[in-house]
Amino acid sequence: MEKFVGYTFQELLKALIGFIDVAGLYLALTQLTHRNISQNHKFQAVGLGWALADSVLHRLAPLWVGARGLEFTWDYILQGLEANANLVLSISLAALGSLIWLRKNKPKTLIPIIYACAGIVATMPSITSYLRRGLGWHFPKVVGFELFTSLVMAFISWQLFSACQRPYV
Amino acid sequence: MANSKKPGGLREMLESMYSVIALLFILVACVELCDAAAAFDVYRLIQYDMSGSPFGSRFAALNHHAASLHFPPGVDLSRTVLIIPLRELNITFVREYINQKKPLGGLLVLLPEVLSFKTGGNNQVHEKEKMKNLLAELERLLIHSNIPYPVYFAFENDEIDTVLADIKKNDLMGQPATATTGGYKFVIPTAEPKKVASPTMTNIQGWLSGLKTDGDANQLPTIAIVASYDTFGAAPALSVGSDSNGSGIVALLEISRLFSLLYSNPKTRGRYNLLFGLTSGGPYNYNGTQKWLRSFDQRLRESIDYAICLNSIGSWDNELWIHVSKPPENAYIKQIFEGLSNVAEELDLKVGLKHKKINISNPRVAWEHEQFSRLRVTAATLSELSVTPELLESTGGLFDTRQYVNETAIVRGVKLVAESLARHIYGHQGKNIQIFADESSLAVNPAYIRSWLDVLSQTPRVAPFLSKDDPFVMALKKELAGHVDEVNVQHETLEGIFTFYDSTSARLNIFQVASVTFDLLLLLVLGSYLIVLFSFLVITTRGLDDLISLFRRPPSRKLKTA
Repeated sequence: MEKFVGYTFQELLKALIGFIDVAGLYLALTQLTHRNISQNHKFQAVGLGWALADSVLHRLAPLWVGARGLEFTWDYILQGLEANANLVLSISLAALGSLIWLRKNKPKTLIPIIYACAGIVATMPSITSYLRRGLGWHFPKVVGFELFTSLVMAFISWQLFSACQRPYV
Repeated sequence: MANSKKPGGLREMLESMYSVIALLFILVACVELCDAAAAFDVYRLIQYDMSGSPFGSRFAALNHHAASLHFPPGVDLSRTVLIIPLRELNITFVREYINQKKPLGGLLVLLPEVLSFKTGGNNQVHEKEKMKNLLAELERLLIHSNIPYPVYFAFENDEIDTVLADIKKNDLMGQPATATTGGYKFVIPTAEPKKVASPTMTNIQGWLSGLKTDGDANQLPTIAIVASYDTFGAAPALSVGSDSNGSGIVALLEISRLFSLLYSNPKTRGRYNLLFGLTSGGPYNYNGTQKWLRSFDQRLRESIDYAICLNSIGSWDNELWIHVSKPPENAYIKQIFEGLSNVAEELDLKVGLKHKKINISNPRVAWEHEQFSRLRVTAATLSELSVTPELLESTGGLFDTRQYVNETAIVRGVKLVAESLARHIYGHQGKNIQIFADESSLAVNPAYIRSWLDVLSQTPRVAPFLSKDDPFVMALKKELAGHVDEVNVQHETLEGIFTFYDSTSARLNIFQVASVTFDLLLLLVLGSYLIVLFSFLVITTRGLDDLISLFRRPPSRKLKTA
């Protein structure tokens, strides 16, 4: 893939962090079984919690320091929208993750699609940073792209989830 | 559950996607109108006290909204900065503002980029004379006024031009920038200007010894060549003084180089000592020259045959002036004048003689030679100026940049002085011998003159802001030391009637601030976005009734139990 051309150490680090996300979600989904939650609600709760922690850690410090300045920039509004997209992406990643690891009786045809979608969502941070650095997109464009893909991914994972809910044909 | 409502939910999802995309387009359009903060170098008007009276701009810090000249009439400008490009400057308007003491938050004058010694390069200036006159008038007005708000100079560039165009547009719409209508805010965060404590003047002197044969019991006579090297202008950080007196310094260095070549060989060493003086304190009644002369040994002072002072010889065409204070009938003056005129004729230029008597009781010293004359040393000043300059005039101001100096003029001036000196030293008066002929090893070197002129045109040299070991002063000393036998540096304090204040340059930050209405609008938009999102999620997951039930009061207990 072209995106591997021009990879620097920083980019590799970002991709690594993307996969740490996946690992964390895996742990959260599989290991924390002390409560009796249905699978539906479990992925929502895990995704929500993960996105909240991600947003706070990533965005609280810049917001506190930067948004109190004299100059008005649209950056912080866009960061808020990006956080929205991030939320949706986290929930869909959690949904796909729960499909992969918690549901054992999946229709055979859908398995590769599930894994492909999960892969795309997991590498989302690398894709956005490539768009920003490699292609030189401006921040609003990147945020728009993120929102769009998050909705698309949410829709796809929703379809997959409901497809797996149907009685096995 | 969401699954039972699948078809309706899908439609709703698509619709919300459309609204998000629409919002996105609006956002993208809005972002293009906003600029990020920009920062520029600005240079402050000089602040000084003369005999206790304050002059110049008395403040340095700035934190106001900006307006251009198109502000709606009758608007209160006491908390606004006026930004005026030089091409739109109307001197009467500024004079009116200053003389009538109208309140103003600050003034920023934009100078054309071509005058900047950092970025302007050597591009030609359009309408030279007009710009020179305008700048000279502006400078004269600002230097001699007491201005109770900060005045800054900056050079135009693309960013500032776009900001200015934006400000003009806003002003023409009748909306001067205030806290409620938004606009641009100019912030210069500097401390309050403080007095420069004990400013130093540094005089550099170089001594080239003449040939002393065994028969000479007394000291050899000396000829002095002097030029003052410091400047004074409206913006001290921009006072490079290419003509006043960069041309004089460069000429002095070149003359010293030529004579060092002659004196290096004992066969061609003259029977005169040569004393080169680079003095400071020129604009302040040649205070430095006075202190330098006072420090001389009596014998040395008496051995000086005559002194030639160089002042502004960089932009003349065909005529130079010799200013003297002793009457022209004086034998020594006649000798100097004749020597110079003879050479001038050969070089195809004219020299005129101007006599101005000194008034001992008047502390004003307009020419450097007057300091010599007050101590009974014959002296004359060679200059292109025919009229005696006033105090703090022709001392290297805003318009005195590299483009206004002609190096050919300096080359001719050097030839004139060097030839006449050499003829006097070697006793060839009246003979048509060219010692410093072109194409000879003693030719005047235009490349040397050009390179030093370029250096000088990039170095502001206002004396109170030059420290004792300023690198430029050290460089001058080193250069002179390469051409003479002995160099001495004398440090003096600039006392007298002048007091200076620091803070000559700063960094201007331009912020585009949003008005209060914009902030409220944004709050509304974001609030409604969040409410819409919340309602959407509640409706899709729990149903519309649940959303409405949030607002209804819970049924009272009484009815339930009844």
